[in-house]
Amino acid sequence: MGKGNGIDRRRLLTAGLAAGGAALAPRAVAGEGDPAILEVQDWTRYLGDGVQARPYGVPSEFEAHVVRRDVEWLTAATESSVNFTPIHELDGIITPNGLCFERHHAGIAEIDPADHRLMINGLVDQPLVFTMEDLKRLPRENRVYFLECAANSGMEWRGSQLNGAQYTHGMVHCVMYTGVPLRTILGEAGIKASGKWVLAEGADASVMTRSIPIEKAVDDCLVAFMMNGEALRPEQGYPLRLVVPGWEGNMWVKWLRRIEVGDLPWHQREETSKYTDLLPNGKARRFTWVMDVKSVITSPSPQMPISHGPGPLVISGLAWSGNGRITRVDVSLDGGRNWRRARIDGPSLPKALHRFYLDIDWDGRDLLLQSRAIDEDGFVQPSKEELRAVRGENSIYHNNGIQTWHVKPDGSSENVEVS
Amino acid sequence: MSKSRKSLLAAAAASLLALPAHAQGDPDNGAQVFKKCLACHAVGENAKHKVGPHLNDLFGRTAGGLGDYKYSNAMHEAGENGLVWEDETLHDYLADPRGAVKGTKMAFAGLKKEDELRDVVAYLRTFSSEDAAATGASPVSGQEPEPTPQSDAPDVAATEPAAAQAVAAAGGTATEPGVGLAYGLGRRATEDEVAAWDIDVRPDGMGLPDGSGTVGEGDMLFQEQCASCHGVFGEGAGRWPVLAGGQGTLTDERPEKTIGSFWPYLSTVFDYIRRAMPFGNAHSLTDDEVYALTAYLLYMNDVVADEEFELSKENFSEIELPNAANFIDDDRDSEPHYAAKADPCMRDCKDTPAEIVMRARILDVTPGSVDDDGAGAGAVD
Repeated sequence: MGKGNGIDRRRLLTAGLAAGGAALAPRAVAGEGDPAILEVQDWTRYLGDGVQARPYGVPSEFEAHVVRRDVEWLTAATESSVNFTPIHELDGIITPNGLCFERHHAGIAEIDPADHRLMINGLVDQPLVFTMEDLKRLPRENRVYFLECAANSGMEWRGSQLNGAQYTHGMVHCVMYTGVPLRTILGEAGIKASGKWVLAEGADASVMTRSIPIEKAVDDCLVAFMMNGEALRPEQGYPLRLVVPGWEGNMWVKWLRRIEVGDLPWHQREETSKYTDLLPNGKARRFTWVMDVKSVITSPSPQMPISHGPGPLVISGLAWSGNGRITRVDVSLDGGRNWRRARIDGPSLPKALHRFYLDIDWDGRDLLLQSRAIDEDGFVQPSKEELRAVRGENSIYHNNGIQTWHVKPDGSSENVEVS
Repeated sequence: MSKSRKSLLAAAAASLLALPAHAQGDPDNGAQVFKKCLACHAVGENAKHKVGPHLNDLFGRTAGGLGDYKYSNAMHEAGENGLVWEDETLHDYLADPRGAVKGTKMAFAGLKKEDELRDVVAYLRTFSSEDAAATGASPVSGQEPEPTPQSDAPDVAATEPAAAQAVAAAGGTATEPGVGLAYGLGRRATEDEVAAWDIDVRPDGMGLPDGSGTVGEGDMLFQEQCASCHGVFGEGAGRWPVLAGGQGTLTDERPEKTIGSFWPYLSTVFDYIRRAMPFGNAHSLTDDEVYALTAYLLYMNDVVADEEFELSKENFSEIELPNAANFIDDDRDSEPHYAAKADPCMRDCKDTPAEIVMRARILDVTPGSVDDDGAGAGAVD
């Protein structure tokens, strides 16, 4: 990794940053002049690749460190595992398709769209089968939504553990989906009055299933076949996935092959043994669908040290809520004692990532960076202590507590918790 | 658009001239807009309640006014407070349902385009006999409308059932079986096709196939097919799931969540084995084998004690798992930090400066860190 700039970023993080920081961000050399200017560079003299040398473009070789990463000890097999979006390296609100985190339960199903079908059955006037071609003849919509795994930040319940926003908060992405409202497809089959729930089912070898109440199914769910303007990536359910805006990612069934309408929930494995939230009294919450208001500072962060020393510093982060829009983000430099309002920049779309910035003049001293988001329903992102006080440490899911990064004078950061 | 619709709409249009400006929509366009609603609402002859109430004779009706449909309390209250469906009230409701009737159970986010609002209101008006009475067109009652001078349609078509007319107007061909009701897309699924994919099983036993299997048969199968990952006694190898034991640990510092200690329903066990196990060779077990494995898992978890026990479709739903009663619905909103919804503190929110009480580097389980060979705590599912 990190071949482009000749520096192993990971080594850099552990070896300290004084020298590495300078190599990463060379300053213009004063005095005798900057060779980057005074010497004619190869790329200024010689021809580069022509068109079609890269028929499907990929990022610069100097961006080779911007990749999804996994945590090997988390799971028994990569086919039923997760990796993490490099949110620390990204900006804006849209996640590039190739960097959207992956969560599979039986590996990536590789499906020829000509062989893919969507069945609607159960409490409907007529059970139907759609081909991909059929689905693309129905009126479609474009919507930008975040998708967050309910277990995002789940490894942090017992305290700060993983050193990097990618690992603590990287089970989230946000793209523009193109698809047909599920309501339209159900309308083709005709929902019977007794239909209160739908079961979404995938075609992969886990045949993933989740129960969804009919009110949500006919509200804003999409059956999507495109992301960010191109076909879904295989890792994201090509050729067809369900979009369940604002609700936990596990419900966004990939490789979607069937929607059944029923009068009761099915209590499938992913909504009983998994994706239920164990409380200290031994009870467990079920059907905790909505992703709560949440934010994290993506830079500076443990994987994104400050390389430039004191002076102007852009603090950048992401905020989101399954309830709708983010109306405000506050940032603290002193571990939550004092706060100031950050600036939200770019589109503010319901149930989408929001980008915020706080532009400061860093004095080079220690910072205890935190961010706190508020959504349009008035929900305020809680502290980790507040969450633990109610939920204990064994909930696994829905940890939206405020994150703290300790930024040190050398520009490095660490995942910490504060009093 | 069918000729019959034209004649009907032309008749309706005459009456629309007298309505408020915003109500003068195009019912034909409205039929297109109404496709957004078809999943939940029916109109026309024989229209019944679906997820939402039928919308025949809507105009002039008090909100929440159909006795045989279960409205939200909010809709009943709106009616009691005098909300009656007319052009303007319907327009405003459809523009922002949850704003207009706070607490409505209609999940639809609303129509944002003014012309769509006007058009769909105009379309729905064609299914109200109040309107029909004014124009002589009565699609709901089935009375034949008088051809009007504006109409160029043969009146024979006007005798078509209103529902068929509505579908025809929407470009569909629902009179043919097995195609979509609004767009005529898709084809009817055969019984065999539905049976091949619809293998889900519910706690009440719905979906269970015929068959049976014993604890002993399950033991044999488990050792062959499952033990390499789940362990000989269901204890789990490495990080593979533990299936048995753990009863009474849910309030411990490190709970052990297994079928016996945590899972609420046996149907989930059967369903999951049948749809996804063995890992990497799914859909390879017979239904009898799935019954046998499920029986063995009950035995391993001390839910049944008899080695001769046979699980079958017949006795399946009698079995309750020990932790069934310990699941509650989502009540996160009532947690103190959410319930207040107060404006958060901005200045001097802590009495003393914040001190670091925990560091990730102490554990050092981050990939790529100096000693990242240790495993941390936690799970992703």
